[in-house]
Amino acid sequence: METLNHKEVINLLLQLATMLIVARVFAEVARKFKQPAVIGEILAGIIIGPTIFGSFFPAIQEYLFSSHPMSNIALDGFVQISVVLLLFIAGLEVELQVVWNQGKNALKIAAASMALPIIAGFVLAYAFPEFLGVNINDRIVASTFFGLAISITALAVVARILMDLNLFKTQTGLLIIAAAMIVDVLGWIVFSVILSLSESGKGGLGVWPTIGLTLAFTFFMLTLGKGLINKTLPWINKKLAWPGGLLSLSLASCFLAASFTEFIGIHAIFGAFIIGVALGDSEFLTEKAKEILHQFINNIFAPIFFVSIGLKVNFIEAFDPGIVGIVVIVGLLTKYWGAYLGGRMASLPRKKAIVVGFGLSTRGSMDIILGLIALENGLITESLFIGLVILALISSISSGPLMGWAEKLKI
Amino acid sequence: MFPKIALAVAFSPRMEALLAETKRLVELFHSELILIHIGEKTDELEAEFKKALQRHGIEESRTKIIWKDGKPGKMILQACKEEKVDLLVAGAMKDEGFLKYYLGSVGRKIIRKSPCAVLTLINPKLETTEFSKVVLNGTQLEITPFVLANGVGFSREVHADQVHILNEIKMYGLQMGTAGEDSEEEIAHTRRQLVQDEMTYVQDILKAIDTKDLKINIKVTGGKWAVELGRFCEKIEADLLVVGDDQRLTFFDRLFPHDLEDLLSTLPCNLLILKN
Repeated sequence: METLNHKEVINLLLQLATMLIVARVFAEVARKFKQPAVIGEILAGIIIGPTIFGSFFPAIQEYLFSSHPMSNIALDGFVQISVVLLLFIAGLEVELQVVWNQGKNALKIAAASMALPIIAGFVLAYAFPEFLGVNINDRIVASTFFGLAISITALAVVARILMDLNLFKTQTGLLIIAAAMIVDVLGWIVFSVILSLSESGKGGLGVWPTIGLTLAFTFFMLTLGKGLINKTLPWINKKLAWPGGLLSLSLASCFLAASFTEFIGIHAIFGAFIIGVALGDSEFLTEKAKEILHQFINNIFAPIFFVSIGLKVNFIEAFDPGIVGIVVIVGLLTKYWGAYLGGRMASLPRKKAIVVGFGLSTRGSMDIILGLIALENGLITESLFIGLVILALISSISSGPLMGWAEKLKI
Repeated sequence: MFPKIALAVAFSPRMEALLAETKRLVELFHSELILIHIGEKTDELEAEFKKALQRHGIEESRTKIIWKDGKPGKMILQACKEEKVDLLVAGAMKDEGFLKYYLGSVGRKIIRKSPCAVLTLINPKLETTEFSKVVLNGTQLEITPFVLANGVGFSREVHADQVHILNEIKMYGLQMGTAGEDSEEEIAHTRRQLVQDEMTYVQDILKAIDTKDLKINIKVTGGKWAVELGRFCEKIEADLLVVGDDQRLTFFDRLFPHDLEDLLSTLPCNLLILKN
């Protein structure tokens, strides 16, 4: 097995240390301003990446992040694992019980909040592919992707905002959470299919087998897979070291599912997400275990991923105010109105529908992962990716104050 | 509390025990008894009924016998609706086979679709069941104030020794996971606050309920409420679990079990399902 040499090891360790330290500093700054840590972590990446640090201290930046290709490959491995784990934790956050309880109303809100951005995004990208920066050779897939990217809600971020506003346990709060969970599940199913389709031109599976496999895998994991988890988890909890046994085996199952979906032609992240849903829905995965998994992944792997975004893209060079403006305006308006109309269809009073509209407009985690994968697959340009990151930043900063404001409305 | 109590009679080996249990409830709640039989009305069966009522010392004047022909589950539910029954007593096996669970047995069908409250006895006895340890579902649901009011009322009437109210912190893992961005002190505060909120929720409801002479213990857990209730009942060997239900369960709920369906799949103890 090929290994890193002495200098490459030092470089890799310095990379990781720098990323974690700067991410922590900026996450704390974000916390001071009552903003989610992810905002600080993304800004940290922009600062230590080519955008800021690369412009002012090019030699140091180059030594840290460009001087040892082998270290960069190893770092990329860390980032890939981080993405898989982030999707795993996103799956764990989905509680099917909450979704069933909220029932049709949550489904209406989720469907409307996704349909409007997807349709608007698709039409816009399909009509102006060159202006917006979607791959003209894969026009339908890339346009659908753009619509999907602006339709995602960041469940963990909105959960935190609802907690801060004391709305988490209210009917409106639970509706938002349940709808965001449905958006997550639908979003990742659709995205996996789209991504496979873009690869189908390069010898992938084709449309129907991909859709069939994706749905079959989802159904299998949520029924028989969950049954298997329910059989093995009590044994793991009882016989193995806790939480060590549970942590290592749940991560192992996450990597196994991820590699399986990658093998059958669906992206690895989908396997990680669905096994997260199945595991999180098991009655034998204790809430304490979920908390540990959350903290382990959110504080170590999430910062590495979110900082890495800033390392990959130069936010000044590739910045296009036209694209950013369009993405932000279309993203904010369509998501808000979609969720608002969904709320009205679910017979919510106007005020509650406005809160739901702002709540589901919260972005800042899954949408960025989705954007990065699309960027790496050549579906979108860096400029459009920057637009998506800025949309995520603006919406996650503004959602809390807007929801608080809407709650006080006297209508 | 229950002016009309019904029992479906099938002349099975469990009939005597179920009649004894129902008679006790009829006396405790000063109710009228409705006996439902699915099958053809014959002189022999009528005589059997009379004998059974005499054996158990059941007043014939306060008892009505309903004869129905057709599918047992459907007909029992129809009879309950027509007679405006308040409580239906049913016997059910604790465990059902995989296939029977998914296809649905008559017992489970009645529990799932009943228009009135259902008391499911997993082990009816001739000497009748003492509801000494009663567990009430106190998780935050729309129906919970109704469940607590009626659950406490029921416990008083059956002279329960101890009433446990179990409340669950919704999505504890997600809430504490997102709180993980805070300092140690703030996390500890959030944790305490989550527990306190659930305690306060139950205490506020209990303020409006007459709980005198009852020993009430409020317990807060994290997890899925139905699963936690089942585990708690098994752990303390509860005699009765009281939950509310305001929705009709379908095959889909059986395929992806949640809430009440979780309880029906295991039946940890006798179960009283209240309908609002």
